[in-house]
Amino acid sequence: MKKIFIGALLIGLVAGLGSCNKWLELKPQDGIVGNEFWNTKEQVQAAVTGIYSSMQASTSGDRALPEYFFLWGEARADMVAPGFRADQDEQDMVNLNMVATNKYVNWRSFYQTINYCNTVLQLAPGVLQKDPTFSQVQLDQAVGQALSIRALMYFYLVRSFGEVPLKLDATLSDQNIVSIPKSSRDTVLNQIVSDLTSAETKLPLSYGNITTDKGRVTRFAVNAMLADVYLWMDKYTEAVAQCDKVINSGQFGLVNAAVYFNNVFFNGNSSEGIFELQYDVQRLNPFFNMHTPQNRRWGAAQHLTDEVYGVDATNATPIFDVRGDLTSYRGTDFTIWKYVGADINGDNVRSPDQSFANWIFYRYADILLMKAEAINQLDQPLEASRIVKTVRNRAVIGLNTQQNAVDLKTMDSTSKGGMTLFILEERQREFAFEGKRWYDVLRHAKRNNYQQLNLLLNMAAVSISGERRQAAFNKLRDKNSHYFPIYFYEIQTNKLLEQNPFYK
Amino acid sequence: MMNKITTWICLFAIVVVAGIYLAGCKKQDITFNTTNDVNIVGYLDKNIDSFSLFRQILDRTETSSFLNAYGAYTCFAPTNSGVTTWLASVGAPSVEAADLNTLKELVKFHLLVDTVGTGSFTDGKLPVATMQGQFLITGVSVVGSQASYSVNRQALVKQSNIRVGNGLIHVIDNVLMPAKVTIAKQLEANPDYSIFVQALRETGYYDMLNTVDQDTAKRWKTVIAETNKALRDSGITSYAALKARYSNTGNPANALDSLNLYVAYHILDGIKFLGDIITAPSHLTLQPQEVISVQLINQEVVVNEDVFDEKVEPGILLIRNTSDNSATNGVWHTANAHFAAKFRKPTALYWDVAAFDEIRKLTAYYRKQSYPFTKQNEADRPIKDIDWEYKDASRTQTYEFSSSGSVTNFANNQDVFTIAMGPPNRSAWVEFKTPVIIKGRYKVWVCYRVRTGSGTVSSCDVKINGETMQRPVNFTEFRPAGSDAELESLGWKRYIENTSGNFTSRMVGIVDIKTTERHTFRLEPKSGSGAVTHIDMVHFIPIDENQILPRFRPDGTKIFM
Repeated sequence: MKKIFIGALLIGLVAGLGSCNKWLELKPQDGIVGNEFWNTKEQVQAAVTGIYSSMQASTSGDRALPEYFFLWGEARADMVAPGFRADQDEQDMVNLNMVATNKYVNWRSFYQTINYCNTVLQLAPGVLQKDPTFSQVQLDQAVGQALSIRALMYFYLVRSFGEVPLKLDATLSDQNIVSIPKSSRDTVLNQIVSDLTSAETKLPLSYGNITTDKGRVTRFAVNAMLADVYLWMDKYTEAVAQCDKVINSGQFGLVNAAVYFNNVFFNGNSSEGIFELQYDVQRLNPFFNMHTPQNRRWGAAQHLTDEVYGVDATNATPIFDVRGDLTSYRGTDFTIWKYVGADINGDNVRSPDQSFANWIFYRYADILLMKAEAINQLDQPLEASRIVKTVRNRAVIGLNTQQNAVDLKTMDSTSKGGMTLFILEERQREFAFEGKRWYDVLRHAKRNNYQQLNLLLNMAAVSISGERRQAAFNKLRDKNSHYFPIYFYEIQTNKLLEQNPFYK
Repeated sequence: MMNKITTWICLFAIVVVAGIYLAGCKKQDITFNTTNDVNIVGYLDKNIDSFSLFRQILDRTETSSFLNAYGAYTCFAPTNSGVTTWLASVGAPSVEAADLNTLKELVKFHLLVDTVGTGSFTDGKLPVATMQGQFLITGVSVVGSQASYSVNRQALVKQSNIRVGNGLIHVIDNVLMPAKVTIAKQLEANPDYSIFVQALRETGYYDMLNTVDQDTAKRWKTVIAETNKALRDSGITSYAALKARYSNTGNPANALDSLNLYVAYHILDGIKFLGDIITAPSHLTLQPQEVISVQLINQEVVVNEDVFDEKVEPGILLIRNTSDNSATNGVWHTANAHFAAKFRKPTALYWDVAAFDEIRKLTAYYRKQSYPFTKQNEADRPIKDIDWEYKDASRTQTYEFSSSGSVTNFANNQDVFTIAMGPPNRSAWVEFKTPVIIKGRYKVWVCYRVRTGSGTVSSCDVKINGETMQRPVNFTEFRPAGSDAELESLGWKRYIENTSGNFTSRMVGIVDIKTTERHTFRLEPKSGSGAVTHIDMVHFIPIDENQILPRFRPDGTKIFM
């Protein structure tokens, strides 16, 4: 009897422990932990997709990156005017009244995307041993994309903040949180160049279908980024070489004026697109609540019609720059049309669930104008003027070599100085609201040790209200003011960070 | 034996109890403060190395405890080197040796009773006055290649927006000195203004500009002074010459003397730095009913550049580096040229209501097709010079053009401004800013395209600068039959070339325009709530001029028959 009892007890104990197996398990049952991930090639691909996804919308409740791309590139420049829903921090940005508490200088989403890239760079190579179907080519593609997007993020940061912390390894767990100080501009820029150079050889020219080619980083996208970086570093020969790789490939062309708005901006992924952040019904862009007339945080500046695109008063049938009214903006109420417009008559705005215009990082016109800018700096203004003319010819419906977009002033193809300004203005017309204007002007202003500082002042004269203008001029004369302050939270949490000089 | 053990136990117990008791006595760490943030004085104490002298000043003037209490202040805290420089300039070896009253004034001049961050700094004065009473002006100046905020042109901000428990601190590198003398004394001290100052004296304005009224509502004045050079450029080399040119009664102290008026035209009420001057299009001067108009053209503050009769009259500049001079009772600026109020004869204004800047810029629409203007919310201003009560975004006001349609075919420029007004669903008012009207007495004619039908506004008050005109307009009413003279006597006229009765002009009354500037013209419907009230023009015609001619043609030209 006693034996039976003991036996039953033992059986019960064993059974109980057996069933306890799951119960004592510490791993989450509804997710995947780190050391179970990074085993198959599908997981590597998912991680790479995650990088793009983190750019489309924040994973931590922050604003989506394109909102920062737009604000950082446009708010301080002369193409936009704050609308009635712009908040105080946005107004302060327009007035160059930056302080460290301005929420729009928070860079955490950039570093989040950088961390996703670092994670792929650090862990993807290990999958090569674990998954025999994962090839070296596929690994190269994953690494190449991570390298180039990390470089792109740092390029935004270095242009906006000057000096930034350079974090090149992944923060995988809480043990890996370290404070790091800022690196110099040159260190960051050199890292960007070396990352992009090594990414270039790893990436394919095409992934096999149009959407992927425009939405993922291809070798051409890396060439475009490199050209942009070299221009920023005043390395013109190198920039030309990168542009030529794209131009000579014959894979891209300028979209005809008649379908310019529809193909390039409304549908996206046109033959002109090189790298575009993809949005669709499932992933909407942040622009509906920024630009539509009822929700306007940002509108177009009022001087665009008269002073940027020009009005043709001489020809019987006026020549009309298609890049201006009803493509970039709607002239009747100065709505930014590129992202929220639904037709070229100015009648319909995209509905909230249709707000999925892509954010265009680089397109072919950019390559052409970057090349023009570089060869002009290499003392070939005539060659540069030919490229600019190609871009201008495209801007008129009914292509005709005699025709041009409205000429506000004559293009002087004999003078390097004249062409420099003309190219800058052409970029202003071509890339209105594409988050490039401030960086374009700053790049021109800082060239040859801030020889053209007045370009920034001229811009402030347009965009800043009268009673604050003199103060803004004097701020701009201090070159440290061209870069943002570091967000106060970062300064508080990272004791090694030092606030940027203008904001101490 | 037992006793001994008991004693030991007792002793032990006592020790233990005492030990527990003593341990219990250890002071507990309880936080009594709601916050550890320091107040202004606390911050200075924390950084005493830089602020020991300013701290001494606060102690000496007995303001430390006041600044350590809760409140909302902005303190401009000068560093030690700044205070040392100031002490040297007043010849005091130490804070103790400085004059107590001066110190008290000084401390008050560094304090604002509000928190004002650098975000509120403009090119003009700060929004609140210092506790001393005078305003501080701000700006940004560049030293070497480094830009920093400047305060009162005396100090640079070294560290800004330091948030403490009771406000904000801006660290400055120099002591701020309140102005000690009046506008009159400052101008007098500068020989470049001798002729102007003598004119001030002779006309009696010198005394006004030399007093500091205790009532701050009356204290402040703004003077636009003319240098001797500016006067010389206009051929006036001495006060005698100035008097000879202007004084018509021979007694400049007489308020009706033209020299007196000339000086009065250079004085504005209130304290207006350049940054403040440019925020309003015109400012009333002390010369009765005369204004200066102000514009910002190419970064220059330009006074009196106006369009009269379609001609631009060039204005004069205020020179930035010799303007914005603070005094105890105001501020003074320098004009680059001689100027005075111009005598202008009242001139008729034929105002095309449908030709405002916003529509002219829309080259695809202006004089080509109609365009509705939407007001998205209360604050939205789709047209700078026309505003209307916001009902909802679907209620638009329309620029209407058609060369063939009967609504506009005979109108001036073949366009009208079509207004949707009338409560409850449409705007209860629509307000326009007129072009510049020269002061004088005018008959006001509202020129409209008749629209009958239910709901059309049949009685509408016209208000000019808030004053209701004698007769309301009925936008459904046709022009009666009769000759021009008969019609005029009834308050009607035909303002277009075509004789169609659809287009007609109604006199709403006579208005006294008191100043030469832009005025407000407001429509307030009293009955009717229709969507289509078509206004083409408004005429302001001096009462003694021909009221009927010119008439207007569809191409916008005038005819005099």
